[in-house]
Amino acid sequence: MSNETAAPGVRIRDLTVVYKTPAGELPAVRGVDLTLAPGTITGVVGESGSGKSTLALSLLNAVQPPGRIAAGSVEIDGLGDVLTLRGEDLRRARGRQVGYVFQAAQNSLNPLKTIGKQLLDLGRSHEVEDLRGLVRDAKDLLARMGMDGARVLDSYQHELSGGMRQRVGIMLALVLNAKVVVLDEPTTALDMITQATILRIIREVHEERALTTLVITHDVGAVAEVADSLAVMYGGRVVEHGPVTEVLGEARHPYTQGLIRAIPRLTGDLSLARALPGRPPTLGTLPTQGCVFRERCERRMEVCETDEPMAVNRDGRTVACHAADRHLTLIKRKEFV
Amino acid sequence: MTVIVNPEGTISPGALPAGTTRATLRRNFWRGVWRVLRRKPSRMAGVVIVALFALMGVAGPLLYPAQLPRDDNALYAPPSLAHPFGTDFEGTDVLALVVTGARYVLLTGLATAVITVALGTLIGLVAGFHRGRWDSLLMRLTDMNLAIPGLPLLLVLSTVWKFESPLEMGLVLGVLGWGGIARAVRSQTLSLRERGFIEAARGLGLPTRHIIGRELLPSMAPYIAMNMLIAVTGAVYAQVGLFFLGVLPFESNNWGVMLNLAVFNGGALTTPAALPYLLAPLIAILLLTLGIVLIVDAMDEIFNPRLREE
Amino acid sequence: MITGTGITKVFKQRGGVLGAREVPALRGVDFAIAKGGAVSFIGESGSGKTTLGRIIAGLESHDAGEIVIDDVPMSSLSHRRRQPYFRRVQLIHQDPYSALNPTRTIHQTLEAPLKLRAKQTGRPRSWVDGRAAELLAMVGIDPGYVLPRYPHQLSGGMRQRVVIARALTMDPEVLVADEAVSMIDVSLRLGILALLKDLRERLNVGVLFITHDIATARYIGDDGELYVLYRGQVVERGATEKIIADPVHPYTQSLLSAIPVLHGLERPGAERVVPKEMQREGEPDAGCLFARRCPFSTERCANEMPVLARDQDIEQEYACFHPRRRSVIPVGVGE
Repeated sequence: MSNETAAPGVRIRDLTVVYKTPAGELPAVRGVDLTLAPGTITGVVGESGSGKSTLALSLLNAVQPPGRIAAGSVEIDGLGDVLTLRGEDLRRARGRQVGYVFQAAQNSLNPLKTIGKQLLDLGRSHEVEDLRGLVRDAKDLLARMGMDGARVLDSYQHELSGGMRQRVGIMLALVLNAKVVVLDEPTTALDMITQATILRIIREVHEERALTTLVITHDVGAVAEVADSLAVMYGGRVVEHGPVTEVLGEARHPYTQGLIRAIPRLTGDLSLARALPGRPPTLGTLPTQGCVFRERCERRMEVCETDEPMAVNRDGRTVACHAADRHLTLIKRKEFV
Repeated sequence: MTVIVNPEGTISPGALPAGTTRATLRRNFWRGVWRVLRRKPSRMAGVVIVALFALMGVAGPLLYPAQLPRDDNALYAPPSLAHPFGTDFEGTDVLALVVTGARYVLLTGLATAVITVALGTLIGLVAGFHRGRWDSLLMRLTDMNLAIPGLPLLLVLSTVWKFESPLEMGLVLGVLGWGGIARAVRSQTLSLRERGFIEAARGLGLPTRHIIGRELLPSMAPYIAMNMLIAVTGAVYAQVGLFFLGVLPFESNNWGVMLNLAVFNGGALTTPAALPYLLAPLIAILLLTLGIVLIVDAMDEIFNPRLREE
Repeated sequence: MITGTGITKVFKQRGGVLGAREVPALRGVDFAIAKGGAVSFIGESGSGKTTLGRIIAGLESHDAGEIVIDDVPMSSLSHRRRQPYFRRVQLIHQDPYSALNPTRTIHQTLEAPLKLRAKQTGRPRSWVDGRAAELLAMVGIDPGYVLPRYPHQLSGGMRQRVVIARALTMDPEVLVADEAVSMIDVSLRLGILALLKDLRERLNVGVLFITHDIATARYIGDDGELYVLYRGQVVERGATEKIIADPVHPYTQSLLSAIPVLHGLERPGAERVVPKEMQREGEPDAGCLFARRCPFSTERCANEMPVLARDQDIEQEYACFHPRRRSVIPVGVGE
């Protein structure tokens, strides 16, 4: 369908997003460097307070007050720096170039209008001339995802199951032929079997349409099933990034290691599993200097109290940890393509 | 604010941590209220206005002699330093009339508000919580109350009842007007009822009395407070309107009486002379409503601990 | 000790033009929770697991069947006389945010049921505060920190622990944890699960763990029993570890197949089962409820209803005409 254009690459550089609180402006995302290679699916995993949702919004330049983007750039091939776009240009970019699938799609669907009407609204607001063609594309997409297009377009949001709503969300994000797609918690609130189906659909649609996809989630399992590369966020920073199988098989950051150990698993020794001590930070409890993770870290050292670890790139893997690269403190290369 | 996750626990049983006694909670509550009011200057303005009127109602008549002085030489006098709002048809200072006339209006308003909210809340809570037969019965009652034509009934009553005391007026208006609140409280109760903490309270076997009084009611506090304040304004309009229409007998002076006399006796709508006489009570009503509306804005924050503490 | 036989529940939906629709939520379920035992109900939405949990906790009625608590059948008692029995079963909700009254401090929240308990057991009022601190310590949080605070000042994990402490105020015999960790950060879930296991061991309190995430069911105890529910019926039942390692019902296998594989650490099972997708699931006329979605269903499955039974070759109970062992769960890399 739209395989003519190549998938764009996305480069996030030094992104910092702050939120205004009674205690001043606090960073939800701090100095994040992240590259989404063209045509790949990147999964960003983090718990509450990690800043992952804020990161996702930044790709659309959609951070609302009391938050604001304080520094950095989000470059998308063919679009430039999204953060410099304003007004009409920005509106057009959202939807046509960058598609966003909301968490639990019911938040983005109007309960009072049929899906078809909302589709037409979307088309009109983006000045699509051939609305019939748009509806045809939508039906094709829905069929591709295993649904009866005509019936779905005639339905209201509450007549569809959770899994179907999520697919409608995906359809609406793709129908304007966006090449970059951001999915925010695509599998939350869905049954296990439906989750597996949705992940499969994301993978298939991604490949078919040659997209560059970003999946934001707290579920490591979901990322493992669908993504090519995995980035782990904690306290507003990317602490580890690399190919999925490598990061999971050989995690280098203590948080990643702890997270994997803390996931309830189907097999394996029950006594080996351990919850991480402490709890994830909130905006107000983030330390202003030193490593954000040190309170819960088992490899805590003196340098962790004062120096924030730099992200070090080695063999295509990025880790930000003093303990992981003790003998490599001289190398301060940040990740880039 | 790091959390100590402490499986073995090193506490001494029997020791109560600081900050849990009732007195402390109450003190913190009022401190929080002050903080909420200070957040927006409009709220403080509202508090000042309402306090002013409250003072007027309590102390107003004490500032003036029981019989207000009449000045036959200054009938419908224009505003001046001595009479900021001029005088009425008897030469009595209009400002004095407004100040002394406040008590009746405010007392009635308060009485009405208290009765409507108390009755309406009780009925709505019981209906919403127990559902089933209680609900049907109480809602039929509410429907009847809402169907009663208030104005004609008052007209009829006024032929036999003199309504001397503001409390009598308040009682009648109150009994006539609780239907709307009952409905609203019932629907709030129905939705709150399904919340986790209410279900947990039921599952633990806590008595209905406790659940309604200590769990449901505090959660609905902002709603009830808002309704109470708005009911005051509604009651003020109702009785002022009735006095203005001449439906209720003039036993003493109040704002509604003033409006009636200004328009029908003084021709305030046609000649400028009695205009201040008309405007003064109107401005008073306006100010009171404004003050109440500005305070209502704070209600949500006052009763929600999360917003209060922030 | 709680048992149930033939528990049936039908939800009447106020229908549209066509009148009311009846949705069967539970179709004759049997279960047993031993004293201090660990039982898990697994299923998707519509399986009836939450409804069953609420019926066991006394929060909902059932249309047919019998519940027996501590050898007393509930049907023999009036509604009022049943309450003290159901109070021995306390429900822990999924959402720790709405399970605590936001306008009351934790101290106030715990004080109310403890005062009632003091009255019930003839203890003095002075016992209440000490017991509150004791319970909070038991669930692993600092009473001094938590008691004067409001729920919004605590994290999700702490709130859930407070909810558990509140459930313990009545000295229950069974805790029903309905998706108790679903809304908690992943890195903290094991902490709550370990707490439940610990409470079982310390207080001999039974845990009924309701979840859609089968892996979590393993952590409340290695002696756990698992019930797999599908649309109101038990389709497989047996020891948790056994069913996970060796499921025989295609629906159980579908559930286990759907669990994401941590590629790099694990390899997917060789015979993963993917059920057919149905647009609309109405009531089948007869036969196995799963037949329309089952990749292995036959003519017989569509016409006859399989019954939960056991045979000598397979340890667990199952309701299927064509049970077969399949390796569906992930295998560790390097095994």
